Amino acid sequence: MGEHKYRSLLISDFNADNLAGYIRNDNHFPAMDALAAPFGQVVSVLMQQNLECWRTNPDLAVVWTQPETIVESFLQVLAYGDFSMDAIFDEVDRYSSLLAGIHERVKLVLVPTWLCPAQCRGLGMLDMRTGMGIANTLMRMNLRLVENLEKISNLFVLDSQRWMNIAGKDAFNPKLWYMGKIPFGNQVFKEATMDIKAAFRGIIGDTRKLIILDLDDTLWGGIVGDIGWKNLRLGGHDHIGESYADFQRVLKSLTNRGILLGIVSKNEETIALEAIKSHPEMVLRLDDFAGWKINWNDKAQNVVDLVSDLNLGLQSVVFIDDNPVERARVREALPEVLVPELPVNKMLYSSALLSLHCFDTPSISREDLERAAMYVAERGRKESQRQVGSPDEWLRSLGTVAKAEGLNEVNLQRTVQLLNKTNQMNLRTRRMSASELLKWAAEGNHRLWTFRVSDKFGDSGLTGIVSLEVNDKIGTIEDFVLSCRVMLRKLEETMLHVVVDYAQSIGLKEIRAEYLPTPKNRPCVSFLENSGFKCKGGNIFSWKVNKSYAMPPHVELENDSRG
Amino acid sequence: MGKTQRIVEVMFKAVDEVNEQLTKEQHINKSLDTILTGPSARLDSLALVNFIVAAEQEMEKDFGISISLADEIAMSQTDSPVRTLGTLVDYISTLLD
Repeated sequence: MGEHKYRSLLISDFNADNLAGYIRNDNHFPAMDALAAPFGQVVSVLMQQNLECWRTNPDLAVVWTQPETIVESFLQVLAYGDFSMDAIFDEVDRYSSLLAGIHERVKLVLVPTWLCPAQCRGLGMLDMRTGMGIANTLMRMNLRLVENLEKISNLFVLDSQRWMNIAGKDAFNPKLWYMGKIPFGNQVFKEATMDIKAAFRGIIGDTRKLIILDLDDTLWGGIVGDIGWKNLRLGGHDHIGESYADFQRVLKSLTNRGILLGIVSKNEETIALEAIKSHPEMVLRLDDFAGWKINWNDKAQNVVDLVSDLNLGLQSVVFIDDNPVERARVREALPEVLVPELPVNKMLYSSALLSLHCFDTPSISREDLERAAMYVAERGRKESQRQVGSPDEWLRSLGTVAKAEGLNEVNLQRTVQLLNKTNQMNLRTRRMSASELLKWAAEGNHRLWTFRVSDKFGDSGLTGIVSLEVNDKIGTIEDFVLSCRVMLRKLEETMLHVVVDYAQSIGLKEIRAEYLPTPKNRPCVSFLENSGFKCKGGNIFSWKVNKSYAMPPHVELENDSRG
Repeated sequence: MGKTQRIVEVMFKAVDEVNEQLTKEQHINKSLDTILTGPSARLDSLALVNFIVAAEQEMEKDFGISISLADEIAMSQTDSPVRTLGTLVDYISTLLD
């Protein structure tokens, strides 16, 4: 069976067939078909969603326009005539309303920013003057558009200027425009395709979460085991040393977006760790790393072991190593791992890392910002597990608190993120956008709980979701999702307790859970088989509600979702 | 590499660029016999426009000269130099002389 193909609809005031071609032929996940709506009919296509082009039920809409065709008053700006910024903003606002009108039709709407051709110098030195210049006015139009649209959770304005910068002097192509009504050179469409696909991967939860790094000649210059940490090239007044320090700064900044760092290095562990702890120019310190495997074993095996320790999947991993042989080894052994080619010149490492298209997410939650700290806390938990005798004793020592609450404006983005990213403890692997989930949860017979988890080592954040659909006195669990970070700490049982408790309160007879297998969610059925729920065959598990589902000892529940 | 062979390589680069947007069935063959215009051509008008622009850009990159194929050529004419990849290579070669 072929890979599922998502569908994109390209709505533009220019001929978007070239862009459609690049999207169709792009071989990065996921496969995507592209249909260009009849060009030059943007307003009609946005307003009339019964048109032929909408009948393919697209998953994604890209609405790419030129400023003067949507905002007529902008023609006055281009002609250096008198214009009113208020009139321009009115037109931008009307267009924003049209864009907002399509967000429920698709999982994702992308709107590239408006641009002026680079060769247009406008008023030259006056072009950034407010109320006069083309560039100034266009910036304000773009900002107005962004501000109008940023509350729509599945609509994003993309910075098209970056595509133009990369394409350089061929970004605007008058020949293609006059002969084919295509304003941009093909490099622009290639860059746009990569950003469009990256955004869509973010929406469906296919985002890389962990960068695994080599050390010698990757994080610092030199072989630490040979020359000692004091002689490494890192920082200082040395162009190579500075570039390694910058590379580390970029990695550190990625941790602030919720991306984890790990180390897989062929080295003596004590020597390598000493370098990380002691080198004064190290930007990254031990607490910046979620884990490491520093030994002389095969790197592919070390990657597998580290990913397993961190309860992540290989599809979450980016592997970065200066050695092409090691890269080839990991690429061949672990095809799910992304192994980018690195430039030979070390000074280009930072820009190579910054240009990766694998970290896009539709939101950045509190949990993302604290993820690295959470893994440091997890190391503390594991250490305490080794020190404490029985599993029961260990669970008691953690002092776990689970807080249940309904879906609300504050937790919506994180809930959607968890729903779309979680693979292992996930009953049905249902993927939904924020608007789809809100719509679903608003139905009278639907109920959704989120769970925040904390213990003496720290706050793991919103890490669990259960949702229920009620029909004829039977409650069917629609989502049962728990982050791998908190699996096997009795949160699974806590979540079932909350569901059964609710079912009793509204007089249901039975709770059912149907497990839909995927290649990754085997842990979920393993839990259900041992949960006390009765297997009725066909992967359906059931609990008779006349019996309570015991709250596990050692977990304290704060249930804010009652009422 | 001789001048003609260099032009052939440049034209094949332009073909590669256009093929990136086409389905496998629509791919332009990298052969001098490939028909570019006329009733037997497999390229639609957009693919031809893309090819002409790509060919001009690649010539500029490789030879450092600006040629204008679209201006000179009536694409539907049977004696058009753009009839096949081979005739186009010959035509460009004469422009360089």
